[in-house]
Amino acid sequence: MRLKIIVTLSVLAGAILAWNLHRIFLQVPDEASQGAIFRIIYFHVPAAITSFTGFYIGMFSGVGYLIRKDLRLDSIAASINEVSLAFATITICTGSIWGRIIWGIWWTWDARLTSYFVCLLIYFGYFMLRRAIDDPTTRARLSAVLSIFACVDIVLVWKSIEWFRTQHPGPVLEIRGGGGMAPGMEAPLWWNFLALLMLATALVLIRTRQEGMRREIDALRRHAHAF
Amino acid sequence: MSPQNFTFMFYGFTVAWLIIIGYVISIALRERRLRQELDRVKRMVEENEQANTRRQ
Amino acid sequence: MRFLRQTLAIAAKDLRSEIRGKEAVNASVSFALVILLLFSFAFDLEPAEIRDIAGGLLWLIFAFAGTLILNRSFARELVNDCLDALLASPVSGAQLFFGKCIANYVLIVIVECISLPVFVIFYNVVPQRLALLFLVMLLGTWGITVIGTMFSAMTVNLRLRELMLPTLIYPMLIPALIGAIELSRVLITGVPLAESLFWFRVLVAFNVIFTILALALVEIVLVG
Repeated sequence: MRLKIIVTLSVLAGAILAWNLHRIFLQVPDEASQGAIFRIIYFHVPAAITSFTGFYIGMFSGVGYLIRKDLRLDSIAASINEVSLAFATITICTGSIWGRIIWGIWWTWDARLTSYFVCLLIYFGYFMLRRAIDDPTTRARLSAVLSIFACVDIVLVWKSIEWFRTQHPGPVLEIRGGGGMAPGMEAPLWWNFLALLMLATALVLIRTRQEGMRREIDALRRHAHAF
Repeated sequence: MSPQNFTFMFYGFTVAWLIIIGYVISIALRERRLRQELDRVKRMVEENEQANTRRQ
Repeated sequence: MRFLRQTLAIAAKDLRSEIRGKEAVNASVSFALVILLLFSFAFDLEPAEIRDIAGGLLWLIFAFAGTLILNRSFARELVNDCLDALLASPVSGAQLFFGKCIANYVLIVIVECISLPVFVIFYNVVPQRLALLFLVMLLGTWGITVIGTMFSAMTVNLRLRELMLPTLIYPMLIPALIGAIELSRVLITGVPLAESLFWFRVLVAFNVIFTILALALVEIVLVG
C-alpha cells in the first residue's frame, strides 16, 4: 500500500516537473531585466518554501514525540528534516548561481542567502547531534528539543539579518521581480511547488521506512545478544 | 539577452537536478545497506535460536 | 521564594568551586588574550577602520572565550556522578539550569571585564559611552549564557562534547551577536544611538524568548 503511494507520488511529481519544464522553457517569455536566468526562480522559490515547510513540520513531529514518546514520530521528524536539508541545499545553490549572473559574484551576504546558510548550519548540527548519540530514546528527545530551538531561532535570525542588511546595504536577491510577476508567469511556479512537495513527501516516506528498518535491526540485535 | 545567461540557467537547472538525483541515489544505497544488514541480523537470530533448541 | 533560594544555592556552589580552582576563568582570559594577539596580525588597519570593526572583534572574542566556560558548566558534574546526584536531589531541572546560568553569566562577565580594558589598550579604541556599552555587554552575555548552558546540558553525555558545543551554539546566537555587535559599533564609533534602538529590542526579545524556552525544556533534556 505504502509502496504504491510512494510510486504514485514520484511518478506524478516527475510528470508535472517534465510538463512544467516544457512550459518554462518554451512558453514563458523572458523577464525584461534579467533575461533567461530568471527561470531559475521556478526551482529556487519552490525548493525554498518546501524546505522551510519541512523544517517546521519536522519540529511539530519532534514535539509529537515528546508528548507521545512514539519513536515512529522521531523517525518521521528525522526524515523530514533530512529531505528539507536537501531542498535547502538546492535553494542555496540555485540562489548562488542566480547571483553569479546578476552581479557577477558567486556569493553575496544578502539577507536571504545568509539566513538560509545559517539554517543549513543549524540543521547540520542537528544531524551531527543525532549521529553522536547511540541510545534511540535520548537521541529522539534531544533532537526534538534542538529542532524546537532551531525553528524559533530561525525566525529571529531571518529578521535580524534582514534588518542588518537594511542598515548595511548590499546586493539584494529580488525575487518579486520588481512589482510582481505577470499572471502567465506565476502559474508554473505553483505547479513546480506542488511537484516538489510531492517529491519531498515520497522521499520522506522512503526515509521513514528506512528508519523503521534501522529500529528493527537494533531490536533484533538486542534480541540476538540477549540469548 | 546574451547566450551567457542561457549557459548559467542551464548550470542552475543542472545543479538542482544533480542534487536531487544525488540525494535519491544516496537513499537507494542506504536502503540496500540496511536490507543487507537486516538479513544478516535475521540470520544471526535464527542461528542463535537453532543453537538454543539444539542445546535443549 | 524557595525556587530562588535553591537556584542561588546552585549558583553559589558553582562560583565557589570556580573561585577556588580558577581553571575556567584563567583558560578563558588566556584564550581571549591570544585571540586579541592573533587579530592584530590578521588585521592591519587604520585607527578609524579599527573603530568600525571594534564592535565585531569584541563580541567575537567574548563569544569564543565564553564557550570555554560554558563547556565546563555541566561537564564538571560528570566526575563522581555528581550530575546524577544533582538530578536526584529535590532541586528541579529548571533550578539547576538557572543556577548554572547565573554562575556562568558572572564568570563570563568577569572575563569580559578583564578583556575589555586590554582590548582598549591594544587597539587604541576608547569607547565614549561606557555605561551603555556595559549595558550592551550585560544583555548580550545573557543571550550567550542561556543558549550555551542549555546546549551544554544537551551535549554533556556525548563523546565529542567540546567539538559539538561551538558548532551548535554559534548559528543559534546570530541574532544576539548581530544586535550586540551593532550596538557596540555604534557606541564605540560615536554614531547617534537613535537609529539603532531596534537592536536593544532584538537583544531583549532574544533573551526573554530563549530563557523561557530553555526553562521549559531543560527538564526534558536533563531527565527525560
